[in-house]
This record gives sequence, C-alpha cells and structure tokens, in this order.
Amino acid sequence: MLSRHAEALFWLGRYVERAEDTARVLDVTYHNLLESPPSEESSAWRELLEVLFLDQAFGDRDSVAGDVTRYLVVDQSNPGSIVASVARARENAFGVRDRISTELWEAINQFHLELTSWDLATDLDQQPYSVFRAVRNRCQMIAGVASQTMPRDDGYRFILLGLMLERAEMTCRLLAVRYARLLHAGRPMGFHAWLAVLKSVSAYEAYLKAHDASFEPTRVLEFLLLSPLFPRSVLFALRVAESQLDRLAVGEERANLMRLVGRVRARAEFCDIDDVLRSGLDQFLESLQADIYDVARAVDQHFFRAGTDLELHAYQAT
Amino acid sequence: MTAAAEPAMRTFSEVFDGDVTRPHYGPLMERLDALGRSDLGERAALLDSIFRTLGITFAVYGDEQGRERTWPMDLIPRIIPADEWWHVERGLVQRVRALNMFLDDIYVGEQAALNDGIVPRWLVESADGYMREGYGVPAPLGSRCVVAGIDLVRDAEGTYRVLEDNLRVPSGISYVLENRVAMTRVLPVAFARHRVRPVNHYGSSLLAALRSVAPPAAAGDPTVVVLTPGVANSAYFEHAFLARQMGVELVEGRDLIVDDHVVSMRTTRGLERVDVVYRRINDEFLDPVVFRNDSLLGVPGLVSAARAGNVTIANAIGNGAADDKAVYAFVPDLIRYYLGEEAVLPNVATYLPWEPDEREAILSRLDQLVVKPVAEAGGYGILIGPHADDQTLAAAAAAIKADPRSYIAQEVVQLSTHPTLIDGELKPRHIDLRPFVLSGERIEVIPGGLTRVALPEGSLIVNSSQGGGSKDTWVLEGDD
Repeated sequence: MLSRHAEALFWLGRYVERAEDTARVLDVTYHNLLESPPSEESSAWRELLEVLFLDQAFGDRDSVAGDVTRYLVVDQSNPGSIVASVARARENAFGVRDRISTELWEAINQFHLELTSWDLATDLDQQPYSVFRAVRNRCQMIAGVASQTMPRDDGYRFILLGLMLERAEMTCRLLAVRYARLLHAGRPMGFHAWLAVLKSVSAYEAYLKAHDASFEPTRVLEFLLLSPLFPRSVLFALRVAESQLDRLAVGEERANLMRLVGRVRARAEFCDIDDVLRSGLDQFLESLQADIYDVARAVDQHFFRAGTDLELHAYQAT
Repeated sequence: MTAAAEPAMRTFSEVFDGDVTRPHYGPLMERLDALGRSDLGERAALLDSIFRTLGITFAVYGDEQGRERTWPMDLIPRIIPADEWWHVERGLVQRVRALNMFLDDIYVGEQAALNDGIVPRWLVESADGYMREGYGVPAPLGSRCVVAGIDLVRDAEGTYRVLEDNLRVPSGISYVLENRVAMTRVLPVAFARHRVRPVNHYGSSLLAALRSVAPPAAAGDPTVVVLTPGVANSAYFEHAFLARQMGVELVEGRDLIVDDHVVSMRTTRGLERVDVVYRRINDEFLDPVVFRNDSLLGVPGLVSAARAGNVTIANAIGNGAADDKAVYAFVPDLIRYYLGEEAVLPNVATYLPWEPDEREAILSRLDQLVVKPVAEAGGYGILIGPHADDQTLAAAAAAIKADPRSYIAQEVVQLSTHPTLIDGELKPRHIDLRPFVLSGERIEVIPGGLTRVALPEGSLIVNSSQGGGSKDTWVLEGDD
C-alpha cells in the first residue's frame, strides 16, 4: 500500500490509544492524590508531565491539578492533549477515508465532534472522572469498531501496530508514574492505591482471576508488565505488534525490524521481576521505552520513508 | 459565418411530439402514469436518501461555509433511441479523432494545420490552455485526450450540436455510474421495460485505455495511478471513485517521486514504478519545475519523465489548446482537414469578435446572442442576451471591444426540454448531455453520459455549480 496511507493508519491507531492512555494516567494520578497529603500534589503533577515528556512544554506554571488536567485534556496548543490527539486521529482518518470502514470513520468523527462541542474545562473542574471515563469508552469503541469492521489486510495491521506500540509505551509510563514515585517515597502503597491502578487500566477483574485480592505490589507490577493474557500489559502489546510486523515487513530491512521488535519483546518476556525491582524499576521502564522508540523509528524509516532521500519537497514531519 | 440569422425561440421536447408521446418513451411514461403523484414523491425522496447515505456530494466553490450538497438527480430518466445514439456516437468518435490529431500535430508534429492556415497560429498560441511546455512530450497512439467530455445540446429542430469540448480533466462520469445504480433501485419496473445499454464497464474500459497509452517500454501490465489534488478538491469523490473502479492507487503529488526521469510511488514495500498517471490536476499545478513553482500538489520532474518517454501523462499536457472556446469554432474545419469528412455533429453558430465585421454584427444584436468568456468554465461569466438588462448588455459590449480575443458570441440555442419532477409535478426543463469518450487502442463512447438539467424555470444554465441537476441517461439497445 501507499506509504502515505500506511502512515496515516499507523498514526490513527497511535493517537486514539494516546488519548485513551492519557485519560488513564490522569485518572490514576488524580484519584491517588485524593488520598495523599496536599504537599505532594504539585510534585505529583510535575512528575506526570515529566513522564509524558511534556514538562518543558508546560513550562514554569504552577503544576496544580486544574491547570495540568486542562493542559493534558483540552489544550489545543499541546499536541499531546486528548483533544489534539483525537483531532489528529480524525485528520489521519480523513486522509484514508477510502481505506477504512464507514463505521470506523463515523466513530472517530463523532468523537471529535463531541469533544469540540463539550464544555470540558467545566467538567474537568467539577467531575473529572466523567471526562476520563467518556474518553476511555469512546476510544475503546473506536478500537472495537475497527476490529469488527476492518478486513485483516495491511491497512488494519498498521492501525493495530500503531495502537500497540503506543500502548506498550504508555503502559510503561503509567507504571513509571505510579510505582517509581511510591518506591522513591519509601512508603508502602495502600490497598486502595492498588485498586485504583488496576482499575485505571481495566485490569482489576483480570488480576483477581489470575491472583487474589492480596494485591502484592510485585504481583501487580508483574501483571501489568508481563501478563501474556491481559491485553493491556506491555508484553501483550509487544507481542501483537511483533506479529503485525512479521506480516508486514518484507525486503532487506525485514531482518533489522524483526530484530528490534523481537529484542524488546524478549526483554519483557524473559525478565525476572524481582531482579528488575532490585536493580531499579525506573531504569528498566526507561530502557523499555527507548527500545520501543527504536522500533517505531525503524517502522517509520522502513515503511513510510521510501525514497525520501530523493525527494525535492521538504518533508513535513507528522 | 455572419451574425444575421434570427434566433429561434421554439424548443424541442425530448418526450412529446405535439401531444403525442414519442414511441421510445412509451413504456416509461405509462409506468409513471401508473405510479401517481404520491408514489413519485416517495421515490424521489428515496433517491435523495440513497445519495445522502452514499455520501455522494459535491462542493460548491464560493460557498463560504464550504457546504457540500447532495448530488441532485431527477427521478425521470432521459431516453435516447438506438438509431439516434448511433449518429451521436459516430459524430463523437469523428470529432475526438480529429482533436487528437490536431493536438498531436501541434505538440509533436509539424503543426501542419497552423502552417496551412486552418486555424490562425496566433489564436492557438494565445489560448489559455496552450502550453509551450507540452512540446515534444509524446502521447502513445496519439491519444492525447484519453478521456474527453463533449457537451451536446439539441436545438429547436432536435439536431444534436456540440456546445463545448472538454479535453483537459473532464469530470462527471462518476455521477453517470451512480445515477444508474440509484435509478435501478427506485424505478426498477420502468427500467426493466426498456432494454437499456449498461454503463458499469466504464472502470475497466478506462483502465484498458490508460494501459494502452503506457510507454512502449513498460513491461507486463503497466501500473496506472490516479493523481488527485487531495481531499479538499471539489471532485475528490470522483477521483476516489475512479481509482476504486479501476482497482488502482489514488495518489497525491507527495506519493510520487521522480529519479533519473523515472516516476515511482512510495509504498510500504519500497518504490514502485508508475507507467501511466491519470491526472486530475490542471496543467499549471502538475510539476513545479515546469509550471507554477509554488504548487505543492504536483510532482517535481514529472514533465521531464514524460518527455523522456518513461511515463505517460493522461490527458496530455496542453490539451486546452484545442478546447479553447474560440478554437472550438474551427473544429469542423479541422475534421475536414485531417479526416476529409464533414462534421457529423455540427457546432452551434459561433462568431469571433476580433474580426471587425463580425464584431459589429455581434454588437448590433447583442441582446439576441450568448456571450461567453473563453477562459471560464462551469457556466461562470456567461451572458444570455435575451435575458439581460440594458446595463449588463452595455457592460458586455464594452468588455468585448476592450478585449475581443477573450470572448465569443453564439446564437442562443433553446436547449431541448424534458419532463422533470419539480415539487411533485412533471414540468419541462432544459437539458444538455455530456457523453464521455475514451481514446485508447480505439475510440470508445460510453452509452449516454451525464444529462444535466437546469432546474429553475426557463434557465439555460445546467452546471451543477449553478443549481443544475442531473438525469440518468438511457441509451436503448438496437433491434437485433
């Protein structure tokens, strides 16, 4: 398929997942802070911005809850905000209108229109949970519509590839925000905090089926990182991404792509969670993210940039 | 040619000969009578909802809200009997053959028609659509107009006349195909009572024509792409439709790159060579190296690749030299010159105001003529003398005197009328016809074409951008 189409589909998947995951990390942070001392608030929001690589863009403003959530949800000037992500997902969908199902187009377009006509700032102040939940539901609906209406061709694979790489990366960030902070604080997490984390990634019930209600920190971490069965775990997302690439990649660059994705998947798959905690979860999560970034960059080079070295137009980066 | 004739204000009715229904409309009109008024209304509503659901719309330039309108198709089809179509088809093939020869003569030939004074050289070279950049760019088989849309009207006697040639990027064929699909859903019984020639082979005919003009060196099945300016273009729907019908890629300029005079498209499996570019971009945006250097729609190096014979651009560059509204007046002469035949389909009587005698004749009876700016399309800027007030006429006269090359004058053709559903009633409305002609190994005419209808009472402007509608067009099978 045309590189331009593949790129639009890949980013469609990424942006939808980014919107959903942003809602999820906001949800965890917000609800966790309800139970924390007020003195921690500012640093918690600042750390969230750091994990999303948005701390510099956010600037020196006071990182209070309202400002940060507005920045991450409604701010058009923040390209990573939920509203901007959905707008870009829609833009990409529009460019491949003929390659996606009508239902998928409608689902994305509808969500975008809803967001633009919704007084999000007020609702974020009054009842942020309703916003986070609505974003999550809509994104899940879009993913569901895609899986139920798209033929399993290359186009669908690029959507899924983008979605899963984004998910793997964002789940790493979610874990970083939550665990790294608490481990540094040297304070054991309470029962409710575990509950909040699991619920925020829709993993609560799945976790209970796999383990029990004792919520041991190591087991929760292991579940979200390494569960081979739970679709939001890092390992699961990487496996799906790997199998999409296996079908998509051809030619001389194939070996390199498969090596990169196989390496990061294997690092997750064969890691020992106790070792990871001993040697530092932060570093582990960071290096996983770096590896995922390498895969995404290789995907970009391999599939979307054919012949760009010959191009006379300046390339407009996404 | 002089501008002395009296205008004929009678009109030809497609369906009725006096009070009598013409025989080829018999089964349709019987069926419409049987349906009754409320049934017709329901079916018209169904028709509208089919187009809305399919998302078949068109954008109107100048509409500030950028609104898209649902494609307006009238419930009542137009029917052309086999013998009549045989005549039209013969005329179209003849005309397009001569136009292809003329364009090849200008751009890669000896310019014989210009040297022999058949058309004044200055006239061709001053045409807006004439492109010096097209010199030496080959068109395999001499098919410079792979797709042509020839606008026809019927005068008061019912004679088919050519009103205009569209040889650059004629649009509308997608509506022909969609109209037919919709028609068979809303009037299936009436449709079945006639033996209507199909149109749905257009995609494969177009693909065959485009492949036939691939560079001789292209190996195997030549790779064809449709080049669109992008989703913002008013005809994007049609571009996507045609790519889908042919099963080829719909590309934008940035999907193509030219290296060493070879055109390739960028795919997820690397660069893939392209042999034929069916472009739906105007000449001046096609290649920023050669034409407008601020164009982001085009492909740098495309023209040089075509000149090198590595890719075919269809339609060819510079076809506007032949569909200029003033050059139009000379097409019957060109047919005689190249083919040694008389034109089967006559032109509308046309007067050229740069000849002093003709200019005087035109100005003396401006209120009886139609004046068209030669550079406009889409029905913009047309003055219909009998409908214009004194002020408008005076302004037109001044404009013609100031810049005679930019205008032509024509006799008013009282376009034929056809019953059309207006507010639940059948009312006569003026129509024209744009058949589509493909030039490949041979010249092929798709049966029928796009019948456009001027919806306001008495209006002669059928363009969809000016409130026109459309009709499904049925060409009947001949007797076996």
